[in-house]
Formats: sequence, C-alpha cells, structure tokens
Amino acid sequence: MVDITLRVNGATCTGSLEARKTLADFLRDDLNLTGTHLGCEHGVCGACTVIVDGRAVRSCLMLAVQAAGREVTTIEGLAPDGGLGPLQQAMWDSHSFQCGFCTPGMVMQATAFLSDHPDAGEQQIREALSGNICRCTGYQSIVDGVLLAAERKQGSDHDGNRG
Amino acid sequence: MTAIAAERYTGASIKRSEDPRILTGAGRYVDDIKLPGMLHAAFVRSPMAHARVLSVDVSAARALPGVVAALTGADLEAMTVPGPDLLMTLMGWAGPTPEFTLLATDKVRFVGDPVAVIVAQSRYIAEDGCDLVEVDYDDLPPVVTAALALDPGSPPLFANLGDNIASPHSRSEFGDVSGTFAHADRIIDFHIDVHRHQNVPMEGRGCVASYDADLGVMTVHAATQSVHVTRIGVATRLGMEPDKVRVLAGDIGGSFGLKIGASREELAVSAASRLLGQPVKWVEDRSENLTASGQAREESFDVRAAVSNDGDLLGLDAKMVIDTGSYPGMGTMVPAIMQAMLPGPYKLAALGFESTAAITNKAPYVAYRGPWASETFVRERVLDLIAKDLGLDPLDIRLRNVAPRTDPPAVMITGRPLAGVTSRESLERVAQLVDFPAFRRRQAEARAQGRYLGIGVATFIEAAPGPRSPEGPSGPMGLESMRLRLEEDGIVALFTGQMPHGQSHQTTLAQIAADEFGVPFEQVRVVIGDSDIVPFGLTGGSRSATMTGGVALHGARQLKAKVLDFAASVMEVSAQDLLITDGNVWVRGDPATAISVSEIAGRAASGQFGVDADAKLEVEATFDGGEGGWSGGTHCAIVEVDVETGIVKVERYVAVEDCGALINPAVVEGQIRGGIAQGIGAVLLERSAYGEDGSFQSATFMDYLMPTACDVPRIEIEHLETVPLDADVNFRGVGEGGMIIAPPTVVNAIEDALSPFGVRIYEQHLPPGRILELISTGID
Amino acid sequence: MKLPPVEYEAPTTVAEAIDLLAEYLDEASVLAGGQSLIPLLALRLARPVVLIDINGIDELSGVSAVDGWVAIGATTREYVAEASETVAGAVPLLAAALPLIGHEAIRSRGTVGGSLAHADPAAELPAVARALDAEFVVRSPSGERVVPAADWFEGYLTTSRRSDELLVEVRFPAARPGTGVSFQEVARRHGDFAIVGLAASLTLSEGAISDARLALAGLSDVPLRAAAAEDLLVGELPSAELFDEAARRATEDADPPADLHGSSDYRKKVAAALVRRGLREAVHNANERQ
Repeated sequence: MVDITLRVNGATCTGSLEARKTLADFLRDDLNLTGTHLGCEHGVCGACTVIVDGRAVRSCLMLAVQAAGREVTTIEGLAPDGGLGPLQQAMWDSHSFQCGFCTPGMVMQATAFLSDHPDAGEQQIREALSGNICRCTGYQSIVDGVLLAAERKQGSDHDGNRG
Repeated sequence: MTAIAAERYTGASIKRSEDPRILTGAGRYVDDIKLPGMLHAAFVRSPMAHARVLSVDVSAARALPGVVAALTGADLEAMTVPGPDLLMTLMGWAGPTPEFTLLATDKVRFVGDPVAVIVAQSRYIAEDGCDLVEVDYDDLPPVVTAALALDPGSPPLFANLGDNIASPHSRSEFGDVSGTFAHADRIIDFHIDVHRHQNVPMEGRGCVASYDADLGVMTVHAATQSVHVTRIGVATRLGMEPDKVRVLAGDIGGSFGLKIGASREELAVSAASRLLGQPVKWVEDRSENLTASGQAREESFDVRAAVSNDGDLLGLDAKMVIDTGSYPGMGTMVPAIMQAMLPGPYKLAALGFESTAAITNKAPYVAYRGPWASETFVRERVLDLIAKDLGLDPLDIRLRNVAPRTDPPAVMITGRPLAGVTSRESLERVAQLVDFPAFRRRQAEARAQGRYLGIGVATFIEAAPGPRSPEGPSGPMGLESMRLRLEEDGIVALFTGQMPHGQSHQTTLAQIAADEFGVPFEQVRVVIGDSDIVPFGLTGGSRSATMTGGVALHGARQLKAKVLDFAASVMEVSAQDLLITDGNVWVRGDPATAISVSEIAGRAASGQFGVDADAKLEVEATFDGGEGGWSGGTHCAIVEVDVETGIVKVERYVAVEDCGALINPAVVEGQIRGGIAQGIGAVLLERSAYGEDGSFQSATFMDYLMPTACDVPRIEIEHLETVPLDADVNFRGVGEGGMIIAPPTVVNAIEDALSPFGVRIYEQHLPPGRILELISTGID
Repeated sequence: MKLPPVEYEAPTTVAEAIDLLAEYLDEASVLAGGQSLIPLLALRLARPVVLIDINGIDELSGVSAVDGWVAIGATTREYVAEASETVAGAVPLLAAALPLIGHEAIRSRGTVGGSLAHADPAAELPAVARALDAEFVVRSPSGERVVPAADWFEGYLTTSRRSDELLVEVRFPAARPGTGVSFQEVARRHGDFAIVGLAASLTLSEGAISDARLALAGLSDVPLRAAAAEDLLVGELPSAELFDEAARRATEDADPPADLHGSSDYRKKVAAALVRRGLREAVHNANERQ
C-alpha cells in the first residue's frame, strides 16, 4: 500500500491504496467523486477526463500514486456549490447532452481546451473533442455548447475592456 | 383539433430538467451506487468459441484473500429456476426455445460466454480471482457463419434443438407474387449483406443486486429500459414472487436496445446476492460490453425485384438469413418486422418474403436501435441500383414509386395503412434544400480534377407507433399507463413506467402535462425508476412520444377535471367556471378569485373540505395511441471519397423528417442526429469482427471504432408540417429513424461518388480497404 | 478491466532507476507516460512484477540544443516537445508529427522516450526517429551506450534496449538549411494510430534534392526506412514522375501486416500514395524555408 496526499477540487485529500489503483478509481471509490466516469478503461473514450496541474488527462491511464502532490480538478469541482460554470450553462442552453455518461469527460476536456484556445473555431473544437466519444448526440449540440461558451466569454471580455 | 391549453411549453426547446445534475457530475448511474457491505462480481469467460466444459476448478479463486464466493454454472443452476429467454416469452414466441443455463455448465457457445462468477471485496480482487479459475475445455468445431449453421452437418449448439436453425424456415406472400414477376419487364437479382455491429452505449450493462433476507425482498439497482420487465425477469429466474422483487433505476448511460430485461450475468449476480445476503455489484467493462453483451444486424438477403422499364418497382421477393449468434432471442423476432416494413412508403404490388434464423458461435443477437433497419437498407439500395440500370435519377425513381397520399390512405401490401405519410413531401423538400443540378455540375468539375464527390438520398417510414390497428391495442405495449397525482405541495406528479436513458422524458412529459394542466413547467415532476410505484412501461420502439405523451396529455386533462371538481366544492362555484393557468385556479373573468394549485392541494391533503368532495386528487390514465401514425422522411448526404486512400468524408447531411407535432425540437433533433451518427459509424467504422475460428477481434475501442466529432458533420434538419391524424395526440416517435435511414443514405452517396469506376455496392460496411477493392474490381 | 497486482517503485534518480532495473530485469516495466503501458496492464496483457515509475526523475525531462543536435530527455511530455520552439525550429519533422499523436489528453502524459521505447511500428515518433537517424542514449550499471535508430528498432514492440538499461535521452539532428519536411498519415479517424504513415525530409540545394529521408510507419514490424527510394531521389530535380518512381521503390518490397484496419495490399497502395503526397509537400516546404 502507498500513502498519497494530493489536492482535489481545492481540498487536500489523502489516501492509502494499492499502487495499481487508477486515479479514476481512486476518485470514484475512495473520494466518492463519482462524476468521473469509466467508459472504456483503456484510454480511448475520454469519459474519465479530469484536469491535473492544468492539463486534461485520462484518469484511467494514470495511477493514483502518480497524482501525489498534484492539483486535480474533477467535474464536481468546476463550479462552486453545485452551481453551473459558464461552459456548463452554455451547454445546458444548447441542449448539449442526452444520457449524460460522456458529459463529465467532455466538459473537462472542453474546459481545458477553451482555457488554452479561447478563440477556437468549430473545426478546432471538433478536433479537440475528437478523443471524447458520445453515442447519443452526434456531437453537434456539444460543439454548439462550446462555441456558445466561447462566444459569451469573448463578449464579456470585450465588455470588460470597454470599461 | 383541440389545441393544448396555454401552448407555452409544448413545441418549444425547453431546457432539460435532467441537465443540472448531468452537467455537474451529480448523475447517479449504476456504478455510482454504493451500499453498505457491497461486494463486487467479475466473470470468468470462455476464450473458446465452441467447446465442451469438462471441469471448472474455482478452489484457488475461493482461497484468494478478499474473495467471498466463487460460483460455477452448476452452482447457479442449483440456485435458480431454468427457463427460456425472457424477451422471447414476453413477445409471445411460440417456437422451440433453446435450453441454456445462466452460466455455461456443459458447453460454451461463444468467446465471452460466462463460465464462473467471482464475488470479492473489490472489482480488482474479483478479477484477480478470475485469473485463478481453471477451466478444462474440449474444443468443438466452431460454427462461425450462418452458412455453416445452415449446413445440417454442423454440430448443434443446443442439444434440445438438434440443429442450428433458431426458427423454422417460413415464407409469406402478399399480393400476386408469381403474376407480378411473370409480367414484369425486368427481373433484377441482388445479394445484399449487412454486417455485424452493435449498440455500444457509453455505459455498459450492470446492476447492484441486494437481497434482504429478513424481508425476503430482492432490490435490484439496474440499468434498464424497463424496471418492470427487469423485475419480471429476476423474479422468474430466481423463483421469487414478482412483488418481492423491486427494481430501481436512476440515470442510465444509453442503451439503444441493449438493456432490456435481465441478462444472464445480472441474474447470476442477483442469485449471488441472495446466497450471500449482501449487495453484489457487477458493471461490465468495455471488453465485456463489446465481446459479450450482444451484437446485431448481421443479415443477408437475396432479393429479386420485378421492375417496369419506366422504373416502377412492382414487386420484391426477398430471402433473408439472419445470424442470431448463440443464445437466440431477439434475432428470431426481427424477420417478421422486416417483412411487414419492407414495402416502405412505396406502391409495391407484391411481396414474397422468407427468412431463416441461424444459430452461430458468436455473441447473441440483441435489439439495436431500429432492429428491422435492414429492410430500409435493402429497399433503398435496390431502388438506387434499379435507377442506375435504367438511367433514372434517384430522386425521380422514388417520387415515381411513393404511394400517393389518398383518403382513405393507401395500404402497404403487408397490411398497414400509410395514414398521414409525407414521403413525397420529404423528397420534394430535399430537392429544394439541396440543389441537385448545382451539385452535379460541381461533381463533374471535381471529377475532372481527380476528386470524387457523391450524393445519395434515401426515404423511410417507421411505425412510431404506427397507425391505429382495427383490432385495437394488443400486448403489454398496446396500452400505456400513467398515474397522475396532485401532491400535497402542489406538484403535479407523473408516475410512468418509461425509463429514459437519454430521451429526456423528465422534460418532455412535464412540458405536456404543464400545458394541459395549467401549471408552470417547474411544478411538474416526472417520477420514474421504481417498480414499486410506477406502472408498467418500457422505453423503446420509438413509441413514447405518442403513447406516453398521449397518456400524459389525457391524464393531465383527467386530473385537472378532478382538481377542478374539488376546487369547485372548496370555492363554492361551478367547475365549468374555473380555469387553471400559471399554477392558479380562478373563476373565469374574475382574477381576484385566484387560489394557487398548491393551496388547493394542501386543502385536499388536510381534510379541509366538505363530505361531498372527492379529495383523492389522483387518476390512473391509459392511452391506446389514438390514431397513432408514422414517422419518416428523406435524408440526403454528400460525401467525398479519397480514391487513393479509401477515406470517406461526409461533407453535408440533410434530414427532412416528419415526426408529427414536436414536443421539444431540441430533443427531437438530438435523437435524429445521434441516430445518424450511428449510421455513419456503421458504414465507415464499426464492425463486430470474428475470425474463422470464432475468435473475437474487436474487443477494445482500438478495434471497434466509434464515430467522433470529426466524423459526423453538421446535420441540417427540417421538420415537415405534419398531417394531424388525432384530435389531440400527434406526437410521433423519432428515436430510431436516424439509425435506420442513415446507412443507405451514406452508401448511396458513396456509390454515386464511385460511379465513374463502375462500382456497385451490395453491402453496408465500407472501410477504406473495401473502398479501394470496390474501385479496382469496378474498373475490371 | 482492472490492473493486476504489481509492485511499484518510484526512483528519484537515474542511478536508483538503473539499480532497480538491474535487480528486476525482464520482470520490470518502466512506467513513463503510461499511455501505452497502462492499457496493456488494464487488459492484463502485460503482467510485470514491478513498475518502475520514472516520472519523478527530474533530470530525465527537458529539451536542449547541443552542437547541431536537439536532445530530448526521455520523460519529456509530448505536449512540451510540441510547444518547444527549439523543436519547431531545428527538428521540423518531429514538430510536424507530434500533433498527430493521439489526442491532447494523451500528449499531456505521454512522453517522447516512452513512445520510442514502446516502439509501435504504426506510431509517429518511431518513423521520425528512423527517418532522421536519431540516436538513443541508454544507461545501465555498466555505463552509457548510444544506439543509432537503425539499430534501435528490432521488431514489433521490441527495441535493442537491454533489460538493465534505461533510455535517458533521444537526440535528433538539427535540420540543415534548405530542408523541407512532411508527415503524412492515413488513419481511420482523427487522432488514431496510422494505418500507414510517412515521415519525409528533403533537402534542396540549387533546386536539386541533396538529401532525402523517408521512413514508413505501419508497413512492417518496425519503421521502414525507404533506402531504395532515397537513393533514387538524391541528386535529382523534383518531378511528379520522379516521385511516382520513388513511391514504387519505397513500397514494392514491403510485406505489410494485415488486420481489421487494412489488408496487406491496401497498406502498400496507400503507402505509395503517401510517398507521392509527402514528397510534394516536403519540396513545397523546402522552398518555403528558403
């Protein structure tokens, strides 16, 4: 067993676990953060995507012990107190999702992408999300949600600059 | 036609009430459930396609620290009641049913067939335990193809059946088949294959079974399309009284037909929970889902078309072989639906249809979104191939052959009236939205530069739920039930057996009820997912828009009448003078009289009413579908084929569809786009692949390729003005249509792109290598 | 799909890591990015006794330019190499290939050394390394060895790394003036492994090809250096006919594997198309650079 300390959604967490336990399983089982989903457990579907030290990462391809000392953000940590952040709000407004299983991974991947590419156009967004598989939507509504979030941010940045 | 009261929500893309939890990771899927003392199960699965099981030794697994139980097929037989496949029973299958056990006992019949189950403190340890189980197999010759299965010499998979034919060969004829073929100008023969592919919801199958020994009650937290069907399945197989089984379902990560009833694994896990007296969780991983959950669509057709020189499709005669895999169930029922639907919206005068269902050493055939979809693929391919032979335009041949809309409606040769079908209008609208002549010019210019663009169209109808049947509703799905209740706090609660897994029922049904009853959307709650409190229901078959939308509409009306009667007694006025709008009950013309619905509900609950008042503000409503109706439309795709690499890109996709009145346009469009994505996936990417020895070759997402955001273009959707058939309920289903029509649409476009090479396509799966093969053989 | 039991070590120095390798030899798997190794463990296809996690060895990460070479530490994340201006300026073929590796989330963790030590013949970096004659620096208790790319890739997922050796660095030669590159690949979907890929680098001198490097991914159990095609190209002026012949020579003796994603014949045909396209693009880029 290995002891680890890491920060998850702004809080310090500890765990004592087998080295073979993935970060995804640690989040879900040990920390009860079940928002991060297991869609394939071999790194292809993206449902398990979380943000580690500012980068989107497939948590099924990381051992929990490798996250020791790191800063992890999961879907639960995106917006304060169960509210909705701007991307989540834009996705709600855009009817982005249906069954919701791919949603946390999509939202985390889109969050990481938008923070690095706030001006991204549709094709770039599609490429950025092409590693997240959705079976329900055909992706258009998801892309629309991301575009709307980007547009709103640019609008508010612009408004902010006008002050 | 009575308009829905207030008309505020219905027809608008109201934001989903499901989304706040979905978007914040607060959804509750089966794998999120944790119960005190919960154990975890994993299955030992056969690596052989066909073998006798000589021995199963679980002793080493049992001895592993953390393993609580290790059960073999024989152990489970002793704990359960043998019986046939649940779905076959529910759908009234009359033929012989193969005898099989929950876990394999004497034989394994496909790679992935479960042989033993290990129950442990964690899934990690359960899998470690599986590694320690020793199974002695004796190889049997694998029956890997339908052709092998139909050979009487093939070793039967099921001893009690004697051969590998799941249902006796049957042939039906409609109209004058021999006469039509005798007098036709041309008879054209085709052999068309549809390949094996599968549902692949992002969440696999699974459950948490929890047996309470004190109460003798089994609670199953399930991922299912119907809590009641799962309940019946568990009760039957475990030999329990049905009312001692409770099935709960929360959020479900997609299903597309996969999660109906109770799978062998879920039944084994339930039995294990009863044995151990502790909750046991099993959630399949992706390998299990791809290998063992079931597959679909592997069908082949020999089709003869009787055609006039002018392009009239006079008759079709189809011989179908369906590969039902091992453990047949759904696969035996699909041919009958295909037969009924094969004529589509066309003026076909004669149809011959025969089918054989073959049993093979592959995963079982399961229902996959539009299980009968191959009838549309075959018909729409045949129309294009005939058009090419005769030098006709694909739009024109369809316009020529669609049945005109008459009153009374034209009747399909297989019996159902084409009431309200707008296929002609959808074809015409596609021609307006897509400038075909301009495309042909662009195509010619591109060809001159060595680029190959193609355009394809296809037309379909689906029975969603289909027109009213003269015999009336039949079977457990013929009547939809709903309980509606005005709760003490003023919430209008709808109790439905629907089990949405992406369909957004908690939003759409609330829209209808809110409008009909007169309360804000937020004041309606749709209650699902508890077999103790919801009536029978099943989400599937593209029926809920009509059946459940309809029962919500009529039920809300009935509840409103009851509430108004009660309110009238409380307010001492006549019920006819009362309205409910915006959550308030008031006397028409006198807004000062308004009392909130909540207050009325409170009064009913508190006893503050007179002896004559009926304060039970609840109704049990049923709905038989009203006039019902068809959904359908025409889709059009423009593709580009890179003839050096075989890579196909879908450049543009237009869907003109008619699903009657829309409850929530965003929900409708989402369903259509998702189905189209699956269709694109089927043609370009997805195949459940077996080797000649029955080994399974697409057990991970690296080999079973799913369409991504770069594979599915923007899809333009146009809704047609529908033909209302019913006085009140004109919502029609749309869940399966996209997946039914997209494959022929895309394949038609690819064939058009490759026509300079003389390519003709008689199959559905066109990966890059196949495209290059078709080009080189086409030229030859 | 849970990982099997395995021991775990997280050395903080190269010396520690090498001692562990010497102790465990073939029973150890080196864990860097984990993007290839962890799926193998999850599928229980690999069952090492111990994972030696080298992510904590700081000296193994970094990009530096030294004497006409770019040295990339083995644990340098792919996204870091992708963003490196040194790489972009001096090793344009590597810069062209990196964005094609999987998806951003894979490149967040995947490492340059890890991909090259895993040696999947359909992967992008092995083809680049083979084309450019990169050098692989391995260290063991007995010292350091430099292995040229031609000797590094031995077979399917097999390198000449001995079980007591740790790959510490990969060195890529800096591109000479007048060089244009192209990385072409045919994949089933955006971000997938290549069914066939081409790493091409051409150097033009007064309009003629003075240096040609072509390596193909997915045509063999190792990245395939197209020496016969390169010999044809050197000294010639670029032309469509020349590129057609180069494409033929690059692929005619190949005996590619067949799998779900393509037959042997398909891979050969597509490889030839990629050679034609890649050479055209490399010439175009060479002209742009001048």
